[in-house]
Amino acid sequence: VRRLRVQLTVLLALLGLLVVAWGATIFLGAHDAARTNASLLSTVDRFDDLRRRSAELGRSFVTIESCRRVYLLTGGPATYQAQLGAERRAKQLFGELRKLAGVWPELAPVVEQLAGDYRSWLRAGRTELRARHEGGAAAAARIAAGGLAERRFQRLHARQAALDERLATLQTTTGRSQGRGFRTAQTLALRTATMVLAAVALIAFYLRRAVGAPADALRSASGRLARGDLDTPVELGVENELGAVAVDLETMRRRLAGRMEALERLRHLSAQVVGATSLQRLAEVALAGLRPEVGSTRAILGVVRRGGQLRLRALAGFPDEGVADDIVKADAEIREVLPLTALRTGQVVGLADLDQVARSETLRGLVARMGIRSLALLPLSSRGRFLGLLALCWTERHPLDREQEALLGLAGNQIAGALEAALRLEEAERAAGEARAVFYAIADGVLLTDPFGRVTAMNRALEALTGWTEADAYGRPYGDVLPVSGEQLLTRYGRKVPVVVSSAPILDPGGRVVGGVDVIRDVSREREIDEVKSALISTVSHELRTPLTLIHGFAELLVLRDMPVERQRSASEEILEASRRLARLIDDLLSVSRMESGRLVLDPRPLDLAAVVERMLSPFRAMANRHTLRAKLPGALPVVWGDPDKVEQILTNLVGNAIKYSPEGGEVLVTIEHDGDSVQVSVRDQGIGMSPRDMGQLFEKFYRVDRDEVRRAGGTGLGLYITKRLVEMHGGRIWAESWPGVGSVFAFTLPTSSELAGSRGR
Amino acid sequence: MKLLIADDEPAVRALVHVTLEGDDYEILEAADGLEALEVARGESPRLVLLDIMMPRLDGLEVCRQLKSDPETSGIVVVMLTAQAQERDRDQGLAAGADDYFTKPFSPLALLNMVERVRQTQSQAG
Repeated sequence: VRRLRVQLTVLLALLGLLVVAWGATIFLGAHDAARTNASLLSTVDRFDDLRRRSAELGRSFVTIESCRRVYLLTGGPATYQAQLGAERRAKQLFGELRKLAGVWPELAPVVEQLAGDYRSWLRAGRTELRARHEGGAAAAARIAAGGLAERRFQRLHARQAALDERLATLQTTTGRSQGRGFRTAQTLALRTATMVLAAVALIAFYLRRAVGAPADALRSASGRLARGDLDTPVELGVENELGAVAVDLETMRRRLAGRMEALERLRHLSAQVVGATSLQRLAEVALAGLRPEVGSTRAILGVVRRGGQLRLRALAGFPDEGVADDIVKADAEIREVLPLTALRTGQVVGLADLDQVARSETLRGLVARMGIRSLALLPLSSRGRFLGLLALCWTERHPLDREQEALLGLAGNQIAGALEAALRLEEAERAAGEARAVFYAIADGVLLTDPFGRVTAMNRALEALTGWTEADAYGRPYGDVLPVSGEQLLTRYGRKVPVVVSSAPILDPGGRVVGGVDVIRDVSREREIDEVKSALISTVSHELRTPLTLIHGFAELLVLRDMPVERQRSASEEILEASRRLARLIDDLLSVSRMESGRLVLDPRPLDLAAVVERMLSPFRAMANRHTLRAKLPGALPVVWGDPDKVEQILTNLVGNAIKYSPEGGEVLVTIEHDGDSVQVSVRDQGIGMSPRDMGQLFEKFYRVDRDEVRRAGGTGLGLYITKRLVEMHGGRIWAESWPGVGSVFAFTLPTSSELAGSRGR
Repeated sequence: MKLLIADDEPAVRALVHVTLEGDDYEILEAADGLEALEVARGESPRLVLLDIMMPRLDGLEVCRQLKSDPETSGIVVVMLTAQAQERDRDQGLAAGADDYFTKPFSPLALLNMVERVRQTQSQAG
């Protein structure tokens, strides 16, 4: 680049030289001219003086000659005096001539010749004069006759004429040289003017070319830039500072255009990522948008979950999605090398060579499986909250330059915004899904209506309750689907169901009613339970009061009445029996309560079932006089696991029932059979038996077969219920077979291994 | 005097028997509601002691039927029940019962009540 300053310096130096040369020329020319002119002028004057003096000298010569001749003739003193005066004048003129002619060397000899001739003439004249004086007039005449002086005068006169002529010639020559000097001056002036003009033109041309046009071009280029025209290149074609400015402007234009383009692409990316509703889609769109910018071919999206830990959420561009598992597995190691601190401050971090980062075996293997070489980590933060991380991957080495870093930083902001939206959407969808799941799964019927009372949704429970399907009910008036009057719901099929309805309006944030929700609880079960409970209380109350009545009544009679001894005895027996009944009832109730609350715990151990049966039967044998109690036991019984007290209670209940419900007596047979893993015990009687209808709820709480014999036999309705629960707690099962008037068989099983025993009771 | 004790619990019937023994009472027994109605209609006792919770027909219904029949409406009906709640008492009185005994009851109070009925009958007769 030739610097403008250098150019200007060179130009100015040239101009200076030019001016110096010019000045010198003018000075010299002027000097010369001045000198020439001055000499010319004086020469002309001299020539005039010379010619005048020469002429005067000529006249002096004539005077002197005349005077001499006269004197020679006359000898008159006046004439002589005049001659002397003339001589003095001539002498003076010669001095002046010599002085004047000194300038011209060629004139000096002429003058000196003239002076020589004059002197010789003068000498000749003087000789004649002396002759005159000495010889008188005759002598003088003789000498004069010689005519030397006269000849010399003639020669002098000729010489003087030659001088005159010479002077005239010289004068002409001098005039000619004066004209030549003028022409020289003219030429000089012309050349100077041309030179100055050329210099000015040169400067103008230079300024125009080097400064003016580029400045205009620069001005218009900067104007274009200012107006936002980034498409027209800035080009001056000059190689100076302005050219450099233009090159800078062009660089600026290119970078601005590049920025604008990047911004445009970012805007495009932003528009795309905003549309991404799932995290997977977001990762794909972000990768697709950034790939043309930075060349990355794969992307990993990690999101910070509630606990603050980064979790892999999406992969994009990986040929093998299976690496996701590998990444998750290497979670702890990855976290160690992730520059989380830098990321949390919002810095884009480029890892140009993963081989240097992945030091552990696991990470090296992971990087190899992922098939990547470089990473760029974009922190995704929104409103100061670190939401996650987008890792862009390159399959070959790729260090980030500053522009890419800046671009990725900006892109990160866009993606973070979209990520936040996507996460919020995900959260909202999850919440909506939960709400939907709750809505449909809830056991109470739920009905949603619009502000006009039309059905918009109903859940499964309400479908089951009303018989309407959600599709059929949709858009129908509330009252069609849910006709409730007096706490009773009329179902689609005409059944009446007791319900409790609670309703609430659904309000939008502005407090306007946008719908309604009705929760319909089917309370038929509660009603049933209420009824069962009140029946239970009534039964318990009855069962308690009857023995109490007997105890109270007979005791009062014993105290207040005189009675014969046998009557006293029977009254006491009644009291005793009633007390036993009361105690039994209370025991049963407590047993039920303990079993139902889970407080009854078995203590299983190996049992000799045959011994238990024999021990249980002996008190019955002692009391029963109308019944035959028999046990049929096999020779070799396996050890049975069970709680001895509870097993005895089971057997006592069943044998007691067998006796109680065979009022006519008969045989009660207890049989034990071994069958694989379990032992089966059955109690057979020859009593009143039961019809299949009676047996329906046989093992339920407080169930009593509705027959006189049963009523008369007394009981709490708890015995078989307790028995069944005990058998089941041992891991066995119980069942009954019966034929009215023939008898019943109650059978149950007990396990022979400890693993099964008691497994259900706890 | 003839009186009927209707209760499905034999021991209660025995208690009534022992209580009224030896006082010139002819005591009839019934183990359920239908039997009670049958005996009351056939034997026309002066007094019926009715348990409420009985098989086949409950005491309240027996009372209602006795009181609605002009033949038997003169019989004094006394309810005997294990149910002590107000509701049962009101139901009994609504069914036309003349008195109400709640189990457990005092045999002597029962005897006094029966005696009073016998005396009013003697005065009337």
